[in-house]
Amino acid sequence: MSVSTSASFEYLERLPGVTFRRLYQQPSTALAIFRRMLPHLAKTFVMALLYMTRPLPLTDLDSWVQPNSKRERDQALSLLSRLHIVTITAPSRDDPQTVTLTSNFGSSLRLALTGGGEHQSFGVPSHNALANMDAAFLDDYARDQWEGILHYVVSSVAENRGHGGDGPTASVKHLLEVGKLVTKGKFTGGGITQAGFSFLLQEVNAQVWTMLLLWIENAEQMGLDSVEVLSFLFMLGSLELGRAYSTSTLSESQRQMLTYLVDFGLVYVPSTGTTQFYPTRLATTLTSDATALRSVSAGFDAALTAASGAKGFIIIETNYRLYAYTSSPLQIAVLALFTRLGTRYPNMVSGRITRDSVARAISHGITSDQIISYLGTHAHPQLVKVASASGNPVLPPTVVDQIRLWQIENERMKATPGFLFRDFDNLKEYEACVRYADEIGVLTWKSDAKRMFFVTRHEQLRDYIKSRKGK
Amino acid sequence: MPAKRKASSNVKGDTKAGRGSIASTPGPGTPRSIGSSDEYESEETEPESETVKNVKANLTVGKYQAKKQSAVQGRDSASHWFGNNDFSYLSLKPDHENRPLWIDPQKGRIILESFSPLASQAQDFLTTVAEPQSRPQFLHEYSLTPHSLYAAVSVGLDPRDIIGVLDRLSKVPVPDSIREFITGCTHSYGKVKLVLKHTKHYIESSDPEMLQRLLRDEIIGPLRVQGTEDITTTAAPKMGALVIPGTKNAAGVQQATAGDKPKVQEDENANEPDIYATLNEDDDDDDVEDAVHAFQIADDAVETIQKRCLELGLPVLEEYDFRNDDANANLEIDLKPAAQIRHYQEKSLSKMFGNGRAKSGLIVLPCGAGKTLVGITAACTIKKGVIILCTSSMSVVQWRQEFLKWSNINPNDIAVFTSDNKEKFTGNTGIIVTTYNMVAQKGKRSYDSQKMMDFLTSREWGLMILDEVHVAPAHMFRRVTSIIKTHSKLGLTATLLREDDKISDLNFLIGPKLYEANWMELAEQGHIARVQCAEVWCPMTTEFYTEYLTKDSRQRSLLWIMNPRKFQACQFLIDYHEKRGDKIIVFSDNVYALQMYAQKLGKVFIYGETSNAERLRILENFQHNENINTLFLSKIGDTSLDLPEATCLIQISSHFGSRRQEAQRLGRILRAKRRNDEGFNAFFYSLVSKDTTEMVYSSKRQAFLVDQGYAFKVITHLQGIESLPDLAFTTPVERRELLQHVMIHLETDISNDYENTDDLFHRVDRDGTGSKSLMKKKKGARRTAGTLSDLAGGQDMAYMEQNRSRNKDLKKKKGESSAFFKKLHREQAKKRDAWKNDE
Repeated sequence: MSVSTSASFEYLERLPGVTFRRLYQQPSTALAIFRRMLPHLAKTFVMALLYMTRPLPLTDLDSWVQPNSKRERDQALSLLSRLHIVTITAPSRDDPQTVTLTSNFGSSLRLALTGGGEHQSFGVPSHNALANMDAAFLDDYARDQWEGILHYVVSSVAENRGHGGDGPTASVKHLLEVGKLVTKGKFTGGGITQAGFSFLLQEVNAQVWTMLLLWIENAEQMGLDSVEVLSFLFMLGSLELGRAYSTSTLSESQRQMLTYLVDFGLVYVPSTGTTQFYPTRLATTLTSDATALRSVSAGFDAALTAASGAKGFIIIETNYRLYAYTSSPLQIAVLALFTRLGTRYPNMVSGRITRDSVARAISHGITSDQIISYLGTHAHPQLVKVASASGNPVLPPTVVDQIRLWQIENERMKATPGFLFRDFDNLKEYEACVRYADEIGVLTWKSDAKRMFFVTRHEQLRDYIKSRKGK
Repeated sequence: MPAKRKASSNVKGDTKAGRGSIASTPGPGTPRSIGSSDEYESEETEPESETVKNVKANLTVGKYQAKKQSAVQGRDSASHWFGNNDFSYLSLKPDHENRPLWIDPQKGRIILESFSPLASQAQDFLTTVAEPQSRPQFLHEYSLTPHSLYAAVSVGLDPRDIIGVLDRLSKVPVPDSIREFITGCTHSYGKVKLVLKHTKHYIESSDPEMLQRLLRDEIIGPLRVQGTEDITTTAAPKMGALVIPGTKNAAGVQQATAGDKPKVQEDENANEPDIYATLNEDDDDDDVEDAVHAFQIADDAVETIQKRCLELGLPVLEEYDFRNDDANANLEIDLKPAAQIRHYQEKSLSKMFGNGRAKSGLIVLPCGAGKTLVGITAACTIKKGVIILCTSSMSVVQWRQEFLKWSNINPNDIAVFTSDNKEKFTGNTGIIVTTYNMVAQKGKRSYDSQKMMDFLTSREWGLMILDEVHVAPAHMFRRVTSIIKTHSKLGLTATLLREDDKISDLNFLIGPKLYEANWMELAEQGHIARVQCAEVWCPMTTEFYTEYLTKDSRQRSLLWIMNPRKFQACQFLIDYHEKRGDKIIVFSDNVYALQMYAQKLGKVFIYGETSNAERLRILENFQHNENINTLFLSKIGDTSLDLPEATCLIQISSHFGSRRQEAQRLGRILRAKRRNDEGFNAFFYSLVSKDTTEMVYSSKRQAFLVDQGYAFKVITHLQGIESLPDLAFTTPVERRELLQHVMIHLETDISNDYENTDDLFHRVDRDGTGSKSLMKKKKGARRTAGTLSDLAGGQDMAYMEQNRSRNKDLKKKKGESSAFFKKLHREQAKKRDAWKNDE
């Protein structure tokens, strides 16, 4: 979650103040930001300030905070002001510094908490909902969509392997490429990138946010209003799973956006009635706060991995054989990135980690540490149990070492940036320069036969040559 | 229960319905048909030729079916990773989590969850019916092969039971292809017997038709001994009448007389009633025939016929009903009451004597796990004449001693036949211990040996024990097994591996693998030492690597062995472990390197040219002299060298990618005396020069041990190696000097570097120095260590002088002292002084 939070923070903090003011007009946005983005101390501040009519002197605020937690206070305040939630008056000699909630945020949040108003920012439920629309169906739908995307990321390695599924839509593929999660290099053959593999290793919620942020950045280029886009996302987060909502209150760009969200699996639009949409669990958990998210996302992860049962499913042996209790094509595809797969049974696949298979993964930019952490986080409960009983590491140390060594094996070429000097007028000139370069300790390589040498820094040497010329 | 499974599997595809019904009536003699059920009606030879193909192609049935099914069953986006090995179409049983196995319908591979509650039961079962492939910590792999099934049936398991138990343990229903494979490999088992009567081999069957068919066979037909009538028909041997009513009685008698052994069997059966319940029940049914028919075959054709019969789907039964053998005299032998057999030894023997008769076969136990005792117990159970074949006269002596130690045999009844010991036992039966070479030798022999050989070949033996079966080349076995007539054969080894594919020959020459122990399990139980394995990567120095790149592959190996960094690593490890109080063995295949290393480091060494007396002296010192802690050995030390003192092993050069050598060498430290100390670990280092072909070989070599569950830790840097005082080859000058030395050696002759003798052709035998002459001093020439090039003056004499062989120090001591230990100290002090002066 920290990944998504920080990523979305970074994006939000870059927005201008005007955008925030417009964003905060929607009570749902104000609530979502309050719930999802703020640390506990900041939340406390906001709640305290919410119904305060007059600006609060900063010194009063200090008295709420324990003296040794000054750093946390500063962090919370700076975050609040960066998100344009509070305004802090500039320090001056006459008046003490005061802090107030920005008016838009304050009023929206009050509205969100107390209800009322005509803002409709929490969505308008549609009344003629389909009868057979239940959470299970939506979960399935969301899982299929999202796995389709992940699958594309994974199996882009082996292009055109012609797998059965349709894969994600063209726009999503484009998005993944723009976001550098996959490459379609003409020379390198394309495939998953290091970023793409990190993306795979994230939890689902973080993955969703990564994709959404990519999309938002992209949407700005398409001329969509980022405020409407964002407030729509924040609204989605406050909707209820399994209920139908009407599209009638959405703006034009929001309706446009809906098609993309369908691609991601965040919402479901039934083919019969286009005037309603159903948010899936992916959407409704977007802005849940961290603690809520843990249980919800755990539920979702369980749904994602329903077929494979337990969360940890990989057994790796000291003979480099790998057994994974899974039937999910997605997980198999991830394993195939760095394993030579052998046999597949209904609930288990077996394979081997080999030098070649790891070298292949590394050539796609996946690091040995990423592989090891993937194996570690998905280790089978048996491995964990045995390891904790004997006090040994979960993964066999020899295998871990070997995977690292396989990577190091290819990293023996060391690049030193620097400057090449050549074409000297005569041997004397060359020798003098080499000697000087050696003396000042910048020389890395020289060839007396070719009369050229290589240095890491050239400034002093340049001056030296100039001074020789000058003589 | 099986019926239910079949029903569910039939639902899967209509095409299989016909086949399913045939497969569902497995039983001996049911012809199997593959393509259609028409063949069911056709002549017997038709399905038979199918069977040949099946056995040869080792499961074409499976392939056929799997392809068909996967075409029907959907493949998803992940299937392309697996090619034809996508078996996700198999349906899981609802309670699959409680069952520990998966079965691969194509290759018959079985994966076992070792953490399942049923695992121990399943393991016992699988070691009986399948070959273990890999047994690390969590998931074990086995594979079903015709040989393993053949072995399973010969232990007394019924094909239906095998399928039944598999089905009970498997998460997926046993695929039809596997069912067919199992029944196909086993249904005709026991129809044909190989018997030994009055030192002649006969093929025997109660069905004359069967024999006629064999005689018509283009391979077996000509092998019949000419001049004998086509088929002899005799009344069924009286053992038939005796056995059937008397099985239990006989067991009871044996139990009363043979001491603990049969009791062990009973326990086995009691522990695993569900698997072995049928063990002693129905195998005597066939013997009720009134008459048996037989034809005699040539002695040297036994193997060919066995092979051919297996191809025909008629594995030859070779059992020895020793309890009812009245023709051969009984031997007075029993285990001493104090002798305790370990559980795995019991288990392996129970496989051999599973139904009260002795079966021929192989027992695979790790080095140091007590193979000898298994052999002795087998001899004590059979109680007939026993002939034991070992690899060297050293082990001949060891075997004899072990026999005297563990059993109550009369010392006169156990004789030794080596080049200088040609005794016979006094009684009318007994035990002969000899070497493969003595027996297999061709050409003219001395009068004594010839007389001894005549004695050996003229009689029937109850049991032949073949020690270290993996080392002997197949042709030697052929000879040995064809000239000596024995009723049963027991092969003992730790590593049933050869890089050439000759190992499967053993299945015909001796018999199927009866038991293979789990190394890791024995290590955990403290029967063999726990070992830390490490591969030390030694980067090549620039000078050596430059040369390496320009040399051809034959010369390259010397460069990577003599890599100065490797030398340093070796020096450091020796120093480190000597300080810890370990006894170290350093192995080098290359004799030149062996001497260079040993002399430079001032350690003792033994290689092929070392005389026997010197060998013994060095070994004795290594064991008891606390100043001799490191011993350099060439590959003559790979097998059957018993040094329980050794706790650390360093390997500097080895025989390419030989997995067997790696395992055998590891075996040298598995019987470490201190193995049961708290926290004790033996150490096994393999020094490898980085970026050379040696790395490739190294990973190949480790394959076997890694599959046994050993983990090789890679060490890229030895902590503290720089600070070791007197570290060799630290300066470029020294390294260049060494390189020069190596280059000169390469220029001259490197053909002597490797002893092309396998362990078997021990010089002990060539020289004819047996146990007696060990006592004699200075037998033969006085040998000094050196290569041929030494003699030719091709070596740097100054260099030799500097690095005096430590071996000589020991020799001098020994030569002068009558009261060895008294003088030892004085000599050592003297030597130390001399040592200082030298430097």
